[in-house]
Amino acid sequence: MNNKKNRTGLTELEDGQTGIIVSVLGGKTLTKRLADLGITSGTEVKVIRRTLFSGPVQVEVAGSRLVLGNGLASKIVVETK
Amino acid sequence: MTDEKKINIVLAGQGNSGKSVVFNYLTGLHQHIGNWAGKTIEKREGTLYYKGYTIDVLDLPGIYSLTTWSVEEVISREYIIHHHPDFVINIVDSTNLERNLIFTLQLLELECPVVMALNMIDLAKKKGITIDFKKLQGIIHAPVIPVVASQGSGLTRIIDKVIDLKGEKADHRIHRYGKEIESCIRQLSEILQGIDLPYPVRWIAIKLLEKDNDVTKLVSEKRTGVIDKVRQLNGYLEEIHGHDSSVVIADERSHLASQITREIVKITPDRKLSLNEKLDAITTQKFTGYLVMVLILGGMFLTVFSFGNWLSGVFDTIFKGWHNLWNFNVGDSFLASLGWAAIEGVLALVQIAFPYILPFYIILYLLEDWGYIARISFLMDKLMHKMGIHGKGCISFIIGFGCNVPGCISCRIMESKRERFITAVLVTLVPCSAVSVIIFGLVGKYVGLLWALSLYLFAVAVIFIAGKISSKLLLGEPVELIMPMPDYKTPHLKTIAYQTWDALKEFIFIAAPIVIVSGVVIQAINLAGWMPAISDFLSPVTVTWLGLPAITGILLIFGILRKELILVMLAAFLGTTNFSDALTPQQMITLAVVSMFYIPCVATISVLWKEYGWKKAMAICVMEILFAILLAGVAKRILDLIF
Ligand SMILES: Nc1nc2c(ncn2[C@@H]2O[C@H](COP(=O)(O)OP(=O)(O)O)[C@@H](O)[C@H]2O)c(=O)[nH]1
Ligand SMILES: [Mg+2]
Repeated sequence: MNNKKNRTGLTELEDGQTGIIVSVLGGKTLTKRLADLGITSGTEVKVIRRTLFSGPVQVEVAGSRLVLGNGLASKIVVETK
Repeated sequence: MTDEKKINIVLAGQGNSGKSVVFNYLTGLHQHIGNWAGKTIEKREGTLYYKGYTIDVLDLPGIYSLTTWSVEEVISREYIIHHHPDFVINIVDSTNLERNLIFTLQLLELECPVVMALNMIDLAKKKGITIDFKKLQGIIHAPVIPVVASQGSGLTRIIDKVIDLKGEKADHRIHRYGKEIESCIRQLSEILQGIDLPYPVRWIAIKLLEKDNDVTKLVSEKRTGVIDKVRQLNGYLEEIHGHDSSVVIADERSHLASQITREIVKITPDRKLSLNEKLDAITTQKFTGYLVMVLILGGMFLTVFSFGNWLSGVFDTIFKGWHNLWNFNVGDSFLASLGWAAIEGVLALVQIAFPYILPFYIILYLLEDWGYIARISFLMDKLMHKMGIHGKGCISFIIGFGCNVPGCISCRIMESKRERFITAVLVTLVPCSAVSVIIFGLVGKYVGLLWALSLYLFAVAVIFIAGKISSKLLLGEPVELIMPMPDYKTPHLKTIAYQTWDALKEFIFIAAPIVIVSGVVIQAINLAGWMPAISDFLSPVTVTWLGLPAITGILLIFGILRKELILVMLAAFLGTTNFSDALTPQQMITLAVVSMFYIPCVATISVLWKEYGWKKAMAICVMEILFAILLAGVAKRILDLIF
């Protein structure tokens, strides 16, 4: 069952876990802005850590660290092994 | 002939790539800040004299490196397109190459001559990153020069390169997208050929496919037929790629950047956790992060206030005899008194600017340059969201504790108008250092320190509730936080010094005229003998509703100039600084509550006016006056039960 691919929101990943971005569920302005920062489908993203009470998520993508608000991060669909 | 020796260059790059450091290195003291017409974002201009050339350099920053990239992209493009600089120096953070390259690709599409400064090579080395910059040069068809801006190394080579290339035709072969996109671009370019537009055709075609509002509007004004074609092509792209065509191109750009990065970058990862990683972990982890934040901010305020109290004490002794000196030499006629009121305004500014604002800015910029401020936004984002704004708003609050004026100015880092306004309103409720003088000098000293601290907690609660209410009232989607998290870096002191100086100057320029003028006006009213009438007029509120002595009416009017005048004038009226002789504890607390909220000071009002127009500025004042009166009245009645 370890080989089965799961799709979840980015916020569901554990700290330190990696996933591949499948899609971004959001308007085109948001999606474009994220793409401008390297967050596009097919890209690998790693969750570094988050704050208390489901706060924002610190991620590593395209070799850089970014902070994404929780609501936003939950709209980024990732695939994990 | 002079024209041949003149070169215009613009620095462009993502936040935190080192633009300010490069700019300060190149221009030194020959620089000034200007504002974008109609924009709230400042630009810096400076001049460099080098090898007989006069080189005008422009930095396109947000006030903090935290401004989102979308803003920088729009500004860079606006400037580049309208002002045709001779060269764009693209400053690139080589430790975040892939993300920075996306911006580079956008710059290249503008078809202006680009020279890339591959910055922070020192940090890249430390991280085990090697970049084949010769290969990169071949890929982007533009010169790439590795530099370490903070050490000044490589920067003159950029200028040499610029002088070298001046007058030569730049190479505008630029990157290609996938087959379908290129075919769409080609089709559009053909129709666009005949239309007279001030931009590169390929760029317009790309922007049309990206559904850029400004460009679409511009083209449709010239020829409507084009837009139909754009719609058709957009539909075609969407069919193939399965999402909006505006995203299709951004996606490809991002993939292109990642492909280029793979070709030119080698990483030999270090197994050891770097100092940066450790610091990052400590300062952003769930528990230690908040602890460190409290310690750092607490330390900051303690430092600022103890330094401030010391220095303002020094100023007090220096300025003490000046009033008598003025009266003795100039006299105390009506005009002479007005003259003194003006001088007093200037002295007051000095008393706030140097003891409090200066150290405050130094520490703030130090934290920012180090990379800490972004961590605060990260930690506070969740809480800020409850007030309808995101984590960056917290920075304006912190600045507001020092002084509301720069606090309100700093709201420019918020992305949407709505958030900028909400943040500014909330900042005006933050007890600034002048209000702190009242809280500690009155309540802290005569009622108890615990009461003084409770007033701060009370202020936080009020801000929180006001945030909740205003985020409900002002319709609109809350913006989510999107922020690059910078690595910790050794602060660059020269840059911090320049930034502090700029900010201090801005404070003085905004605040000085209004503080002086209103000081003179209020003094005139005072000399005309209208003050008793005013305090009588206000007595239903001050005496009946708030249970305060009638003179508070006058104090509160002077307090609009500077909040701490409330305390200073109170002492003058009473003829003693032992306030417990004249006021009961509940009166002191009530007066402190009124002072905290009743109106922003004139300098803050003038910022609100400048940034949001006079209607909104007045609305904030009226609301806060009513709110403070209501709140303090209720507080008085509760306090009467306690004491
Ligand atoms: N180690 C190192 N730090 C740098 C270099 N260039 C800039 N910095 C630091 O990077 C941070 C961001 O620089 P800044 O000029 O403010 O970036 P801007 O946002 O593009 O204006 C600051 O802490 C600088 O001191 C460099 O070449 N090496
Ligand atoms: Mg800067």
